[in-house]
Order: sequence, then structure tokens, then C-alpha cells
Amino acid sequence: MSRKVQRVVVVGRDIAGWLTAYTLARAFGRTGVTIEVVELPSMLRPIDVAPTLPNLRTLHRLLGFDDNAMIKACFGAPMLGQRFSNWSRGAPFVHAYDTQGVALNRVEFLNYWVRARREGLNVALEDFSLGAAAAKQARLIVPNEETMRFSHAAPGYNVEAVAYALLMQLRAKKFGVIHTPGSVAAVDHEGDRIRSVRLANGPTVEGDLFVDASGAEAVLMRDMPGDAFQSWSHWFGVDRILAASGPRLTPIPGFSEISAFRAGWLGLYPLQQRTGVIAAFDSKEMSEREMVEDLPALSGVNLKGDALVAPFSPGARARPWIGNCVALGEAAATFEPLDCAPMQALQVGLSHLAALFPADADEMAESAIFNANMEAWNGRLRDFQLAHYKLNGRRGDPFWDRARAMSVSDALDYKIKLFEARGVVALYDHESFQDENWISIFVGHGLMPRDYDPIADTMPPEEQIENFRQMLSFVAAEVQDMPSLEAHLELHAPSSAVGQ
Amino acid sequence: MNKPLDIVIVGGGTAGWMTGAALAGALGPRAARVRLVESDEIATVGVGEATLPQIRDFNDYVGILEPEMMSASNASFKLGIEFVDWGFKGSSYIHPFGVHGDMIGGAAFHQHWSRAQLNDRAYNIEDFCYAIVAARKNKFDFPATDQKAVNSTYSYAYHFDAFLYAQYLRKFAEARGLERTQGKIVKVNLNAETGDIASVYLDSGETISGDLFIDCSGFRALLIGEALKGPYEDWTKWLPCDRALAVPCERAGAFTPYTRSTAREAGWQWRIPLQHRTGNGYVYSSNFIKDDKAAQTLLKTLDGKALADPRPIRFTAGRRTASWTKNCVAVGLASGFLEPLESTSIYLVQVAIINLIKLFPRANIEPALRDEFNRLVDMEYDRVRDFLILHYYLNTRTDSELWKYCRAMDVPDTLKQKIAQFKHRGYIEKYKDGLFSPASWLSVLVGQGLRPQHYDPLVDNTTLDVAISEMDSYKKKIADRVVSMPDHAEFVRDYCGSSSAETPAKAEARV
Repeated sequence: MSRKVQRVVVVGRDIAGWLTAYTLARAFGRTGVTIEVVELPSMLRPIDVAPTLPNLRTLHRLLGFDDNAMIKACFGAPMLGQRFSNWSRGAPFVHAYDTQGVALNRVEFLNYWVRARREGLNVALEDFSLGAAAAKQARLIVPNEETMRFSHAAPGYNVEAVAYALLMQLRAKKFGVIHTPGSVAAVDHEGDRIRSVRLANGPTVEGDLFVDASGAEAVLMRDMPGDAFQSWSHWFGVDRILAASGPRLTPIPGFSEISAFRAGWLGLYPLQQRTGVIAAFDSKEMSEREMVEDLPALSGVNLKGDALVAPFSPGARARPWIGNCVALGEAAATFEPLDCAPMQALQVGLSHLAALFPADADEMAESAIFNANMEAWNGRLRDFQLAHYKLNGRRGDPFWDRARAMSVSDALDYKIKLFEARGVVALYDHESFQDENWISIFVGHGLMPRDYDPIADTMPPEEQIENFRQMLSFVAAEVQDMPSLEAHLELHAPSSAVGQ
Repeated sequence: MNKPLDIVIVGGGTAGWMTGAALAGALGPRAARVRLVESDEIATVGVGEATLPQIRDFNDYVGILEPEMMSASNASFKLGIEFVDWGFKGSSYIHPFGVHGDMIGGAAFHQHWSRAQLNDRAYNIEDFCYAIVAARKNKFDFPATDQKAVNSTYSYAYHFDAFLYAQYLRKFAEARGLERTQGKIVKVNLNAETGDIASVYLDSGETISGDLFIDCSGFRALLIGEALKGPYEDWTKWLPCDRALAVPCERAGAFTPYTRSTAREAGWQWRIPLQHRTGNGYVYSSNFIKDDKAAQTLLKTLDGKALADPRPIRFTAGRRTASWTKNCVAVGLASGFLEPLESTSIYLVQVAIINLIKLFPRANIEPALRDEFNRLVDMEYDRVRDFLILHYYLNTRTDSELWKYCRAMDVPDTLKQKIAQFKHRGYIEKYKDGLFSPASWLSVLVGQGLRPQHYDPLVDNTTLDVAISEMDSYKKKIADRVVSMPDHAEFVRDYCGSSSAETPAKAEARV
């Protein structure tokens, strides 16, 4: 007779620990499952920002948060995309969370744009994207029947990391999650199972299922039999992450700014009350000291307080679920903050755990499918990040020259070759990003397809021009009617709420 | 840059004419010149054919109107496939074009069903599938558009006379500019430098050259197989059937809105109801039964008088290693063969055509397009293959050598994992695109006798009693709604009755 899981122990901290606990509590808290968080000392600082993608809103809705409640509680700001600057000698481009143009005569829009470029058109692809226009003009998308035929734009949010973790903690505890602050002194193993963890201050915590949400430290996972961390440092030269803080940008932009410099990249993430700053760099190219010194000039920001630097090792565990221990968040895979990957990876892992919550406490056969799926999801997400590096146009910086010369994964290599040949995006299962996102970054980084769908040639040039004109006017007109982000923030997160 | 692509389709039949109709209909003369070469001499396989709901998307894409097409091809409606004697003798389950039940408390229906089973409250999962309940009562109606209605939870496809469907498509294609040439190809000329197909030479003395050749020549694979020597991956070790006998019989017995597949000693027998007659066939492995014995079994079990001698077909389960090679795209039997157990032949033709249009080449063919086409098409073939293997593998029959062989075969790992995950907790993977949906996997896994040992813990958010009450209520909702549905035969008569279709009712009316 099999036994149900009754005790879940989350050994972790910060966003990964509390988001996991709250999600599992909502999903299983009323089925006789108790959830306890052994909360390790926080590694979050007040200057930390958590950038997120639009699809995190799905999880938020399941957790009972609407967008406005979220930004209010976490001093967040809606972002319509990310602008990449200085990744080449060309102009910056916006990776908007949206499509570009619409298909005409059942041929994808990109083909017409490529054809038009050949014929001298000087309009950027992103000008045909409602999301990109909204991002650049700092408007909030309010979809209507017309826009929904043309656009799928939705905002992602930058949130204060500490506030977000606290919000999840409060909700989790209200839902009955047991909070045990402490640190792990010893782990009692039996084969590939953890029976209990003993805390430094004495108590032993037993459980059926253990979740390691302890970050890169991976306090539980690292000692599981068969654990192996696969480094991605041959692909990602960044080995340091810097966090800092700057003043609030007013008016608030509709995008986070991701700008490359000789040793890495620098991100400015607008929030309600300040701007989060993140730099990812290669300490062989630029020392920590130099980075901190050059930061104000590089970022153009009057920094407030100290910049904090930490070492960084990208990669993923080959088996994030071994026995009765599952790693989520950074304990499972360490991503650069580029493309909001860390929150995306956490969310994907967490959804998988909820969907594959073990049905038998003694025989967790779900681990096999979990590991296979997560490997695929991580690989596709990692490839999106890798594409930025591979396609960079900064010549003469050793860091960037190396990135351009590297061999990427087979899957990414195939995607790039196909796009370069014909502007088609090859998508696999388990993709975090869709056609329009890949198109946005490929074209943005200067990867221009050599050819396009010849069926597009059957549209007479005058008709094509007219279609383009209509789309551009549509975008311009619709964006005018949208509320500004400033106005939206004023309405939903009034500045009188500052200082809670 | 603006010269239309010169396309030559070799072979008629469903593959050739579906390709012709789609290319002529969807592309227009500025994009392509479309020619089709077929020989009236060469018989096409054309047995009564069953299809999948995706064919409706294809017809919409091409611009084909449903009632007209159905009338022209003596078609009937299809809500699914009934599998008789597959898991064990005496069993019957339906793989529907529809879902089972509705989510309860955020957990999938079949998980609730599993919990009920494990708590000795056994339900027949079929009672929760609108399409199945309707099918078993020989009813048909179009699904409701209101997504909240219980009769919106299904789709449908067709049974039709493939030869008549092809003829209908031919009229359609020729009206849109496709040029048909009657003739038999006696030689294929290759470009000496590139190895591409330069032209085909007919028995009439005519030479037809082109930029892109579509091989719809069936098993013979005149272009991709014979001329280009494209290799073929043989899947006989997993799908041992290698022959079929097809025979039409008089319309008799129920006019079922579903295909029937009955497992036999050395394979299985299909029954496809059309307006004018019933299509039948025995698909079998020559290693496990002799041809004459197979013919006997088939003829003995028809439910109407045979209207012809059984027609023999030989095949090898498998697919072309590269369906698009050089400037030749294989579509239909030339690209691969999977027995019609799940009516996938025409679907795979459609997949090839849609991907070809999506990856439409210029005369100077970009290799990346070929690679992507092959990646997408191969993936569909491989997934269908695994699903078919499942039917054979998951059997408990001990009464014949074929079934024992199938139970013992070493199936692909991906399939083993799928079975293990379902057995453990009813887990079914969902693909981004393509076949087969979770509802399909569910119906076959359960139908062939597999029962999950555990259920999804999310189910426990709802008490058993509450779940049972919702299940009972849903079951009743379906049963009540189905009662008022029209009869399939009447529906077909009214909607798309073919004037040429000879039916018992018509014959009677004349007397």
C-alpha cells in the first residue's frame, strides 16, 4: 500500500523559497500536506531587483494576485520589453513582448519586411510592433478588439526582490506554511532519500519531500548521490554579477535597458521608487574594482549606495530531482539575469513540480520526466541568452570577439542557420520564447535573412506599401490612446504609498 | 526573382490531388505553375478512407466546401475509431475526437476518474466523453460553438471514397489553373552536375521539366526512391504487418459515425461506412498468416455482400530517411507508410503540403528549407509510429503468435517512458504541435487495459463525494443531450446525401 506525501520541507531562502512554499501551499495545503520552510539566511539585499516576463502573471493569477496588487505591494513597474544598446555598432533595438505586423495572404509579415528592406525601405521591424511602440513611448497596453487582431502585447514586471519575497512569505504563512528560520548542520540520508535535516540550533526536521531552494549553494542537492553540475562557462564568459541602485527614472520608461560594454553587459531596471542596476561581467577583462569605479560612467546613473559584486558560475544540474529531493531556482540552474531568465526558470521548475507532485512518497517515479523536461526547458532558455552573445557586433573587444567565435549548442546553431537562410524560426517543444521573440533579437542583432518566402513576391509593391502604411498608422494611433505608465502607476501605486 | 516556381506533381490519387489542389488553390499563378502527371493505367491504392479532424483545416485552407465535398465523395461523419478485441478478446473501446469529462477543482478529469477507480467506484470512462456516447448511439450533429456547452467538447472528421475525393480535388485544382497531363513516366532525367531531377519523360514522347518535383507515385516512389535512391527506414520490427486485403461490401448493419478496427489473429480488420457501400480490409503480417487464410477471414466477417474480389496490397512500414531530397519532395506513400490503424495517411499528406507551403522554395533550393521540412515531417511520422506501436504492444492476448510477438518486442524508449509515467500516475505529455493529443493517448492507454496506480495529488483538493457527485451529473448531462441528437444516417442524407449513393433505403423506395 503506497503512502502519500504528507510533509514537504522547503530548505531555502528568498524568492525561490517563499514562492515555492506559497505555490505548493495553495495547490496542496488543503489535501493534508504540511509545508515547512527551513529558512536559510537571506542573500537578498535591498538593492536587488527581480525582472520578470509577462508569463509570470499566469502564476500570479493562480496565486490570487492581480497585476495592480502586485506592483503596489512590490513597488514594481510594468515593462513592455527590453532595449538592447551597444551590442553592435547599429542602433539600439527593442525586444518587445509582442509580435511584429500581421501575416498577409497567409505569408508571415517578416517576409514582406525583408523584401521591402531589399527595395530600400528604411523602417525598422519593431516599428510594426504595437508592443515595441508602447515600450518606447512608455504606454500601458489596454487591449481592445482591434489591437487583439494585431498584437499580443503584455507587460512583464520589475519588482523589488525583497518586497516580493516578503509578500510571498506573508501569504505562505497565512496559508499555514510553517516557518523555521535556521541553517542546516547535517542531512540524514538513506540511499537516495533524505529522511531529515538537522538544524544548527538543534531541531531535526523530517519530511517526505525536500525542495532545495537554497540558491547556488544547493545545500541539499550537492550531496545527493548522482548529482552533477554541468558548467556553461565555455559559453558564458561572465563570472561576476554586480548589483547597485540608482534614482528613479522620471518619466518611467516602458523598457529595461540592457547595454553592452567591453567586459559584459549592464542592465537598468526601472522600479517605482528607484532603478535597479545589474552588471554581468568577465573579471578577466575588467577587475571588480574597475567595474565599481566605472559603473557611474558606464550606466549614466548617479548611484545611491554601494555596488555589491558576487562570483557567478552559470550551468545546470543534470538531475535536479534525485530521490525525494527536488532543486528549484538557482539550486537547479544558474542563469545570467539576461532576458529575465532566473525568474522564468524558477517558474517553469515550480509549475513542473506542481504538475508532477509525487503521488507516492516512497517511489517518486516523477523525477525521470521532471528531469527530462527541465533539461529541455533550460536548454532552450539558455539558447536564447546565448544568441545575444553569438550574434553580437562589437568588434575589437576580446570578450565579445570570443563570444562571436564560440561554437554554440546544436539546437541554437540550427536555429541561426535556418533564420539566416530564410527568416524562419525553428521552435521545439519546451520553449520559453516564441517566434516573435526570436525574430526580434535575431533581427535586432543584425541577422538579416538572405532570402524570404517567394510567395510574398506575388503582392504588388504598391499594395505592400499601402499595407505597411496602414499598419504603421494603426500602431501610431493606438499607442496615442493608451495610458502612460506614469499615469498608471499614479493610479495604482500612488507615491503616498512610499515608505511602507 | 519573380518567375513562378515550376512544380511538377508525379502521380494522382489522394496525395497528388491534395497537393495539386492546395498548391493551385493557395499559391496562385504568380507564385507557381502547377502541373500534375498521372496515368490512368496505374491504379491508385484508394480504399475507403477515414480521416482526422485536421482535414477540415486543410479543406478550409484550400477553399473546399464541406457539404459539396461530402456529397461528391459519398462521405459520412466520423467521431472516432472503435477498437474491438485489441487489449483482450471481448474488449471494445473508442478513441474519440473529443475529450473526457471536465476539470474538477483544478485537476484533470481522468485523475478524478482514477481516484474513483482506486476507491472501488468504478466508472466507464467512455460515459464522460460526449463524442463516444454519441458515436455508440449512431448519432451525429455538429459541435456547439458555445465552449461551455457539453456538446462543444468534440470535433469530427470524415469517411469518404478516396478515389472520389481525389476526383473532386482534381476538378477544384483544374478550375484554379492546374495543368493535368495523362501519361506514364518511362524515364526520369537527372541533372548530371547537381543530381537534381531535370525532367520526366512520358510514354507519349513528351518531356516535362520543372524546378520542383513532388513524388506522389505511391509505393513505387518513382522519383525519390528509384531515381534519387533515397533510403527508407524500415519499421517492420515494431509494426510487423506487411500486407492488406481490401474489399468493399454492400451497406449493411449500422451506419456508424465511427471507423471500426477489429483485432484478428494476425493483424486487424477495418470497417469504414460510406454512403454507397462499406469499405473493409484486413491488415496483416505475412509472417503470421497466409494470404488465402487472411482472405477467408475477411470475407467471412463482412456484414454485407462483397462487391468485388479482395484487392491485395503489399507494404513496408517505415518512412523515407529524407522526404525532401534535392528538388524532390515525397508526399504520401512515396514518403512513408504507416498502416491505417489511426487514419493517419491523409493527415501525413496534409502535414507535408502545409510544411512545403510554409517553407516554399525558389528554383535554387535553399538547403536549410529541406532540413527544416524533414525535421518537421519526420517528427510527425515518428510520433504516429510510437502511437501505433502502443496499440500492438499493450495487449494481453495469448491466443496467437502475432500478439505474443508484439508483447515481447523491444519498443522505443520514449514509448516505454510514456507508458511507465501513465501507469504510475496517469501522466500524459502534451506536445506543442502535432499528434497525438492527451485525450487520444488517454483513450488508448485506458482502452487497452492500463490503469494508473496512483492519481494526481491535486485531486485531493476535492473530496471523493463531491467529485463523484460532479461526475454523475456530467455523465447525465451527456446522456440527456445525446438522446436528442439526430441519427447519423438521417443527418448525412439531409446534409450531403449523394445522388449517386446507392443505399438500402433508396433501393427499397424504388420497389
